[in-house]
Amino acid sequence: MSELSQNDLILLVREPLAHAALVEHVRQPEDGAVVTFDGCVRNHSQGRRTLYLDYEAYDSMALGKMRQIAKQIHEKFPIHRVAIAHRLGRLEIGETSVFIAVSSAHRPAAFEACRYAIDTLKRTVPIWKKEYFEDGAVWADGEVPPAPVETRAAKPAS
Amino acid sequence: MAAPNDSRTTAATETVLVKVLFFGRLKEIVGAAEDAMELPDGSPIEALFSRYGARHPELARFRASLVASRNQEFAAWSTPLHAGDEVAFLPPVSGG
Repeated sequence: MSELSQNDLILLVREPLAHAALVEHVRQPEDGAVVTFDGCVRNHSQGRRTLYLDYEAYDSMALGKMRQIAKQIHEKFPIHRVAIAHRLGRLEIGETSVFIAVSSAHRPAAFEACRYAIDTLKRTVPIWKKEYFEDGAVWADGEVPPAPVETRAAKPAS
Repeated sequence: MAAPNDSRTTAATETVLVKVLFFGRLKEIVGAAEDAMELPDGSPIEALFSRYGARHPELARFRASLVASRNQEFAAWSTPLHAGDEVAFLPPVSGG
């Protein structure tokens, strides 16, 4: 499942993420910097040893929210290209669950945009992980996305 | 408040079908990833959730931590639903 718009790459995949291809996609001759974020599966959670994780997504909405993040960082920072890829399904310890690459002419924009992108992804993209331990499994504590303000007029969220 | 002589509001409300999606722990509680529900046209998302909460009391316990979506956008619980809408009740997100 992929979406290409204005040279950005937004992906949900079920196989190992291709870091190098994502970096190459954003790195262009006019760029002076590529900043990447590699989110990987940690072997412990709240003092317990993690065996593996299982990710699921509301695919269509998750892709929409990831596209919105790409759009937002273009508006906020003078960056060039963005690649945001999230993996779904079972992931082993050390594997990459999310990878973000941002290119820009000068490094500050790419650093700030990359940070903004991962922070916003973790708060607003409908993806969930279940953590498997030696003695059971739990859905990870997550973040409640910012919800639209309730109004009596109940106009649809745009 | 509707005036008694307003035929638009006193007419029988049409029943519509909406698609409902469940994720994460909600999917486990309901035992399905997807369902369809008939309800009066214009019913708020809250009313739809109440029906599932009545069927699955454990679901209702999570209400305070959930956010609703309508057609792949976060939506207020008061958002009215219409034919063919896709609704999801989203647990706290934990991607990344």
